[in-house]
Amino acid sequence: MLTMEQNISPFIDTVQKYSAELNKNNSPDWFKKVRENGLSRFTTLGIPTPKHEDWKYTNLAVLSNTPFKPAARVALSFQDQIQRICAKDEITIVFVNGILNEQLSSLDNLPKGLVLLPLNKAITEHETQIKELLSKYKPTEDTPFVAFNHALAEHGIYIQITDKTVIEKLIHIVHVTQSTEASLTTASNFIILGKSSEATVLETHVCFDQSVYLSTPLTDIVLAENAVLHYCKAQSESLKSFHVGNTRVWQERDSHFDGFALMNGGEITRNDLDIISNGEGTSSTLNGFYGTNGKQHVDNHSSMDHRLPNCTSNQLYKGILNGESHSVFNGKIFVRKIAQKTNSYQLNKNLILGVNCRVDTKPQLEIFADDVKCTHGATIGQLNEDEIFYLQTRCISKKDAVKLLAHGFVEDILNKIQNPAIIKKLTILLEPTFAALE
Amino acid sequence: MPKGEEKILNEKTIQENTLSSRDYKYGFYTDIETDRIPKGLTEETIRLISTKKHEPEWMYEWRLKAFRHWKTMTEPHWPNFDYGPIDYQALSYYTAPKTKKGGPVGNIDTTDPELIKTFERLGIPLSEQKRLTGVAVDAVFDSVSVGTTHQAELAKVGVIFCSMTEAIEQHPELVKKYLGSVVPYSDNFFAALNAAVFSDGSFCYIPKGVRCPLELSTYFRINAAESGQFERTLIVAEDSSYVSYLEGCTAPMRDENQLHAAVVELITLDNAEIKYSTVQNWYSGDKEGKGGIYNFVTKRGKCVGKNSKISWTQVEAGSAITWKYPSVILQGDNSVGKFYSVALTNNRMQADTGTKMIHIGKNTKSTVVSKGISTDESNNSYRGLIKIMPTADGARNFSQCDSMLIGNKCSANTFPYIEVKNNSAVLEHEASTSKINADQIFYLQSRGLDLEGAISLIINGFCKDVFKELPMEFAVEAVKLLEMKLEGSVG
Repeated sequence: MLTMEQNISPFIDTVQKYSAELNKNNSPDWFKKVRENGLSRFTTLGIPTPKHEDWKYTNLAVLSNTPFKPAARVALSFQDQIQRICAKDEITIVFVNGILNEQLSSLDNLPKGLVLLPLNKAITEHETQIKELLSKYKPTEDTPFVAFNHALAEHGIYIQITDKTVIEKLIHIVHVTQSTEASLTTASNFIILGKSSEATVLETHVCFDQSVYLSTPLTDIVLAENAVLHYCKAQSESLKSFHVGNTRVWQERDSHFDGFALMNGGEITRNDLDIISNGEGTSSTLNGFYGTNGKQHVDNHSSMDHRLPNCTSNQLYKGILNGESHSVFNGKIFVRKIAQKTNSYQLNKNLILGVNCRVDTKPQLEIFADDVKCTHGATIGQLNEDEIFYLQTRCISKKDAVKLLAHGFVEDILNKIQNPAIIKKLTILLEPTFAALE
Repeated sequence: MPKGEEKILNEKTIQENTLSSRDYKYGFYTDIETDRIPKGLTEETIRLISTKKHEPEWMYEWRLKAFRHWKTMTEPHWPNFDYGPIDYQALSYYTAPKTKKGGPVGNIDTTDPELIKTFERLGIPLSEQKRLTGVAVDAVFDSVSVGTTHQAELAKVGVIFCSMTEAIEQHPELVKKYLGSVVPYSDNFFAALNAAVFSDGSFCYIPKGVRCPLELSTYFRINAAESGQFERTLIVAEDSSYVSYLEGCTAPMRDENQLHAAVVELITLDNAEIKYSTVQNWYSGDKEGKGGIYNFVTKRGKCVGKNSKISWTQVEAGSAITWKYPSVILQGDNSVGKFYSVALTNNRMQADTGTKMIHIGKNTKSTVVSKGISTDESNNSYRGLIKIMPTADGARNFSQCDSMLIGNKCSANTFPYIEVKNNSAVLEHEASTSKINADQIFYLQSRGLDLEGAISLIINGFCKDVFKELPMEFAVEAVKLLEMKLEGSVG
């Protein structure tokens, strides 16, 4: 448990102050309540310490010593870089310092069946949907940073796709941060897919300078019956930033969630992906790649909760570690008592290229039903010397050989993404990872 | 109840056990006069145990330090268990059978014939004529060792195999040097408790260059009610020596839960090898989960020397609760650690078991093969840690943990922790959970096997990787044990 000392840290003070200020504005009462509940929950939980089983390998003590302030509205000086990762034929939603920037976004001419609203509008116009979504989760089970996000919820995007609609265009949410002092951003995104609908959403978190900030985005996703969502979260932020993100997915009968997570930025990154399969016949894909360098720390947590029968889940996370970096992987698979005929597969592969790297991996199975097939695996190793040697005999220098093989290692997983536009963008975001191999 | 009547009743219990239900044939109780100390645990208790065993002052001091440390600790509750509180003051920490004509404890000649008979019934003949050939046995009954066989034969090659009490008396320098060097008293709650109150156990010392001519083994038997068993085993293998050690355990059937908190320490020096095998069959409680042994055991080996090897093989088929993580600290370069385990849980048993492999030396290797089978309403968890320290260049690990579920009320969990701090390490971990393949059962049935036979054969194949590591007789015993346990829970 946390000591009192941590609870009265300046960090918590800031959160309390800011949350109270937010509640003075004219948001609806029910939403003020959400903030209050989030705040009280976060104040009780505090910043997690490595004594918590879920935070065993990630130490956030540095946060409590950093004087964070809410991020301010700025004029973005990196428009070109933004253009590079955006395209004309997509629906782009750009947040600068956690605040929606309508000039950079393309919110006009939305296809039929797609509702796209900033959070402050959505909480009045779509109160029932958001309330219903939030009611699916027990507040007591919230992780500290879900509570944190609720306490400071102000900006975000609300995406709703009506029943039997397929949105062909890529919906691209860009979070870019640029700040001169330590700042806080908390985006709260909601993605609600109606029955038999389909969409592709890419959420990128980028920063083009050395800003210091903490971003704690929360994306809540609901897939109604037979819905399909291709979702990718890419984080390639400043090497001085902290990213503690949560994605929660709720799946109804026969829905398909196809997720991908790319993490290669940030000083300390923690990404939680929780999927609850609450209907029969759902399928879920959770793939991911992380590339670390220098003293970076990347922690990927995932939880796949099979609550009903006949569901499948597939997970493959790969990582390349360079420099003195540290990666953590924790994959949980729960199979509840009635979730018979579950098929669940999980694999974590780590490639260590640096000298003083550290890998902590914990693939975890908790199974309460008997007629299931669940497997998990983890590997940690280096590049195969024979393969390098073979390439060298073909007049490829050792350095190039290493690069070539590392590319192959990454491509294997990138190719699992179905949308070529996303692959293209991820390749751009992966440039620093490959540059580190030089 | 008058004594005679109780005896008849007990005889009957055995009959019922062997004939009607084959659940637990070791569930009988031997009515024997005992020397036991009052319930409770205070510094006085420690003094009493120490005096009873005529221990030197340094041993008493060590126990006392452990006890004082234990008082500062709290019982761990992180395992996947559900059980009521344990009242450490409601146990008697020393219960020894009285010997014939007041002779010394630990000598087969002066031991009560009733006791010898008990061990015979358990399949462990102790008397000279009937002794098992090729296996030296140390028999531990409640708190004391009642005798060790083949001691003279072993002494010829310089192997010391005796009870812990005897070792403290006759080889204090060795005990002082190694006791607590692998599992210090401050290690964990149950290790501290054990260090404070341990009453006996086995001690083996294999001198330089000796390949122990016999299999060494200890048989643990809990008999008395309202008592716990706290034994400590210490095995030291000097340079280039080898020993294979077996351990077996049983207890009577009772409605109350009994505590067993043991510590096992293994030490291998350069080029030495220890092979440690366990078949654990403590009473596991009845169908409703009433009674059974709470088995909280700390087992750890340390490969101190270069090229040394420690292997743990365990068949865990008993105990209401099993909390056991036989570990190896791979300190010497090129040392090897192995762990093979079959854990079977039925009724309402709860097992949380696995291993820890700590790689410190260069080119150290470890293998982990764990097979868990859960049936009825039991809960079976694998919890393991593979840790590669920065100094462990070229470390290699392979882990495999498979679980099989039979019935839809049981559960199987895997919690593998992998921590790598060296970039030259190569690790592979794989785990699977599934039920018995219906096609395989059908195939075997089409060849004339009945359902139970088919399942038994499949389970046997599932566990083969582990069974083949067990010494011959033990492997046969283990197969039988599993078959017996699975009877009635499948189909």
